[in-house]
Amino acid sequence: MAVDTQERPAPTASKEGATAEQDSRFQRYRIRTGMFAWMMHRLTGVGLVVYLIIHIWGLTALTDPETFNALIAKYHSPIFKVGEFALLVAVAYHAMNGLRIVLIDFLGWSPNQKKLFWTLGAVTAVIILVGGWPSIYSLGEWILGPGSMPTLFL
Amino acid sequence: MDLTVEIKRYNPDEDEEPHWESYEVPAEPLDSALSLLLHVKWHEDGTLSFRKSCAHGICGSDAMQINGENKLACSVLVQDLVGEDAEDGSTITFEPLPSAPVIKDLIIDQSRFFEKYRDVKPWLITDGPAPEREREQSPEEHAMIEDATKCIMCGACTHACPSTWADPDYLGPAAMLKAYRYTFDTRDDGAEERLDVVDSPDGLWKCYTIFNCNEACPKDIDITRWLSALKRRAATSQASTNA
Repeated sequence: MAVDTQERPAPTASKEGATAEQDSRFQRYRIRTGMFAWMMHRLTGVGLVVYLIIHIWGLTALTDPETFNALIAKYHSPIFKVGEFALLVAVAYHAMNGLRIVLIDFLGWSPNQKKLFWTLGAVTAVIILVGGWPSIYSLGEWILGPGSMPTLFL
Repeated sequence: MDLTVEIKRYNPDEDEEPHWESYEVPAEPLDSALSLLLHVKWHEDGTLSFRKSCAHGICGSDAMQINGENKLACSVLVQDLVGEDAEDGSTITFEPLPSAPVIKDLIIDQSRFFEKYRDVKPWLITDGPAPEREREQSPEEHAMIEDATKCIMCGACTHACPSTWADPDYLGPAAMLKAYRYTFDTRDDGAEERLDVVDSPDGLWKCYTIFNCNEACPKDIDITRWLSALKRRAATSQASTNA
């Protein structure tokens, strides 16, 4: 075992400031399942906070029916369909990975963390496909022309 | 096979910044990564500096970043890094442990790491007087901390943790694993004292279950699992009201 005792303390630089500092929250490091899951969790988390701010701001239009209708009309444009789908992806991933973390921290499922990631990842994919079908459908209709998309569960 | 060994070098007397140097090293698939460094030191450049003692994964001296991941140089084989039938010129990179101050080449300043270790009071704390004979523990009681006692304090885990990179004061997995090891030791009475330290903004709650520590550990300790157990203990104990 590496030692650090009174007689033999852990080595330090002989001169003050003679070390090369590598302090940075961003390091080049191999990304494995756990770190990938965490990075996506952060990204979707920050994304959802940004969405929430825009969402609350949109709700301020509720005071006046005219402005509210105008705002809602904008939401029917294709760009918002993309946004709607991205929102679902973020929510579904964040919720499912959150569940993974709960299982790890509360039930001690740490040894199964990779299996958990892929299992819940599959569940997330199903949620996204089923829940996001209306968005995919209307985007497909818009890109490929009306009537070109199969009408599944709609 | 002939490998290209790239080492991040830094000499405080000459260099402003660390820089990469490349060496050609003959190697066998079953050589350890450490033997590549020894070859460079003995045959190419004697000024290359790195820590190494037992070379058998016991002393924990030679933890470093190898091919982008923290590993113990003596405990990883060339074939595990480049494959059994790697072609000549396959590259293996060596860097000091990420985010720690570098003294020279692959040698990091460990003082911060050991300060955190001392912070969690890694010794037996007891209430009563010492017994006549040894303090007994059943195999079942020991099983709870067995995995955590395998730690060799190499620092691979703590320096692999993004929470450590972002906050140098974060206690880190190695120190908190020690906290677990003593808190869950049935002979120890210092749980509350230790929970005061780990149940803090720089402690347990910056563990986001990223699992880099588990991946880096040369002893395959399930560190995240024990930190989760310590989190549960902290959340249910009286001490959690102090945070």
